[in-house]
Amino acid sequence: MQKYKTYLAGYAFLLPWLIGFLALTLGPIIASMYLSFTQYDLLTAPKWVGLDNYKTMFNDDFRLEDSVKVTFKYVLLSVPLKLAFALLLAIMLNQGLRMLHFYRTIYYIPSLLGGSVAISVLWKQVFDQEGIFNRMLAIFGIEGPAWISNPHYSIYSLIGLSIWQFGSVMIIFLAGLKQIPQELYEAATVDGAGIMRKFARITMPLLTPVIFFNLTITLIQSFQTFTKAFVISGGTGGPINSTLLYSLYLYMKGFTFMEMGYASAMAWLLLAIIAVFTGVLFLTSRFWVFYSDGGK
Amino acid sequence: MLNRKSVSFLMLSSILALAACGGNGNNDNQGSSSASPTSSASSSPSASQKPAKDVELRMAWWGSEERHEKTLKAIELFEQQNPGIKITGEYSGFDGYFDKLNTQIAAGNAPDLIQMGGNIKEYSGKNSLLDLTPYVGQAIKLDDFTPSLVREATDNEKVYGVTLGVSSSALLYNASMFNKAGIAIPADGWTYDDFKSVTKQISDKLGKGYYGSYDLSSDSATLASYLGSVGKELYRDGAIHFDKKDMVDWFTMWDELRKSGAIVPAEVQVANPPTAVDKSLLVQGKVAIQSGSASQISGFQALTQDQLGLVTYPNGPAGSGMVPPISGQFITAYSGTKHPDEVAKFMDFLVNDPEAGAILGSTRGVPPSSKIRDALSAEITPVDKVLYDYISLVSEVAPDVTYQQFPVDSEFIKLLQVTSEKISFGAASIDSAVDEFMSEVNKLLEKAKQ
Repeated sequence: MQKYKTYLAGYAFLLPWLIGFLALTLGPIIASMYLSFTQYDLLTAPKWVGLDNYKTMFNDDFRLEDSVKVTFKYVLLSVPLKLAFALLLAIMLNQGLRMLHFYRTIYYIPSLLGGSVAISVLWKQVFDQEGIFNRMLAIFGIEGPAWISNPHYSIYSLIGLSIWQFGSVMIIFLAGLKQIPQELYEAATVDGAGIMRKFARITMPLLTPVIFFNLTITLIQSFQTFTKAFVISGGTGGPINSTLLYSLYLYMKGFTFMEMGYASAMAWLLLAIIAVFTGVLFLTSRFWVFYSDGGK
Repeated sequence: MLNRKSVSFLMLSSILALAACGGNGNNDNQGSSSASPTSSASSSPSASQKPAKDVELRMAWWGSEERHEKTLKAIELFEQQNPGIKITGEYSGFDGYFDKLNTQIAAGNAPDLIQMGGNIKEYSGKNSLLDLTPYVGQAIKLDDFTPSLVREATDNEKVYGVTLGVSSSALLYNASMFNKAGIAIPADGWTYDDFKSVTKQISDKLGKGYYGSYDLSSDSATLASYLGSVGKELYRDGAIHFDKKDMVDWFTMWDELRKSGAIVPAEVQVANPPTAVDKSLLVQGKVAIQSGSASQISGFQALTQDQLGLVTYPNGPAGSGMVPPISGQFITAYSGTKHPDEVAKFMDFLVNDPEAGAILGSTRGVPPSSKIRDALSAEITPVDKVLYDYISLVSEVAPDVTYQQFPVDSEFIKLLQVTSEKISFGAASIDSAVDEFMSEVNKLLEKAKQ
């Protein structure tokens, strides 16, 4: 009886999350699975079309092709750069600074603001053709291009914005660095190891689980990026689809062009793509991720 | 140190979280805002006189700041006259307006009153709008309306909307820039050759950073009029009535203008889209000509000291390609509204009440009711006069055709824009970009038939 009560209490505490999960997560997931096999214009009832949406996606949608290319470029550049930048700063902050709390907070701020529309608007102002950034370049006699409205550069301004939001990744790295026993470094110093060697032989291996974690989370988030591209391109993904990230195109299909069935199918393709990437990370992880407890 | 189990657990939970948020993030449409109008019902008589419960309505519209203010004022007046009815405005710029509306309709949560544009039939055909036929002649009086204005909102012999204003697509120009450059302001009947020379002269005379015109190669209204002026037609009865050569000519003309410096370069166009009134370089006095709806002039003029004006699109070998003035916007009701009677009452108020007419002016085009129009003409503002004169001019010069909107208009506009950008940024040759354009247009027509 006592045991039963404990269970009950457990579920009672779980309930708010459980209801949210079933109603707001699992329900829509199942609904989108069904919708992906229909033609659904939001205004009238969905019509069953079997695999048509998936066929169109793979054979007959050049904009989707553009969108996938742009998204891969964005993910493959922004993820490694963001991790490297965050790690670099975490290491710098781990040097026993006096005002560590202060710096940590300062560097974290962009991540807090980062997802917001306001920052994207700000970014647009800074990197506009006549924005602050180009005015600064002008002081040195450089005429900067239109970072946002030129299709050759626009994606890089999004990548830049993503790297700038390195805070949460950095905090996790910092926590990981703090866990590495100081004795190892002391012993290595006694043995005559230099900074680089200590980094390569102690810091990196012991940090691999944290890197693995950050890499996977950042990868997933990057594939889903929406707000930045939506706001900076004014909802168009332009110029010439150069910032048409996958989620933005999905949104456009669903809500602007009223093809919610197709958009649902796109969501499942995105899930599949992300699953493949995370799957590969997990499968290879045993070759490069080192757990100090032997991976139990 | 993190161990394998905890890492795996975190991963798993984040993957689940991922599946939950297809379009994670701030879906609030850019620039959208909703606000309740300043409460005025508080000044209504005593609470005891009111019906048991206030009727609360929501009304959605898009427009500029000027239109928001006028509409909110009209709502306030209606609330004063009708204690017990409260109307909340949900207003925004045009960008994202229909995205939001589509979502609300799908969720069964659309506003009771919805401002619609030329795409009204996309919605009425799908049972999203309330059939107003029972109210016409009763609560909604359309006697002072030109019959064609009622027809435009009629689908399957049912009336779905009430015209709020008559407008026409137009070229808006900045007269002050013409004066500064010492160039005569274009007049109706001008040709594309005139357009080329005028825009080039303005760019040359005013110098770097000033341009004769926006790049209108991506503007569907300009394209429609151009096709008319060469004897073709953008769309009628399920098909396009132009071919590849017309589009090649079209893009070639703009390409030459771009290379000569007469129109804004691609990057400037993208950064300052003419559709957003707060970004428009016409308002800032840097671009002399842009395309738009004639009724936009009041919103634009409110933002600048420069003198703005309206002129018809240039003529071509086949004469004028102008489309006769049409209803610019309608007020419609959501089919799911719980208060159709109050909705109908407010619709009638918007178009027939003299005080409301005075408040709203021409913010949505020339008022459709002849009585209101006559009352307004008596004390007309300069900018309204420009609009009135333009609309009557277009009625005279436009060939007698019935306008048909391209059925999947938002996608067509997007396609035209991407094609135009491919050419203006040099990402594709005119020939290959047009090939792609033509095949995509045909796909859109296929889709529209479904």
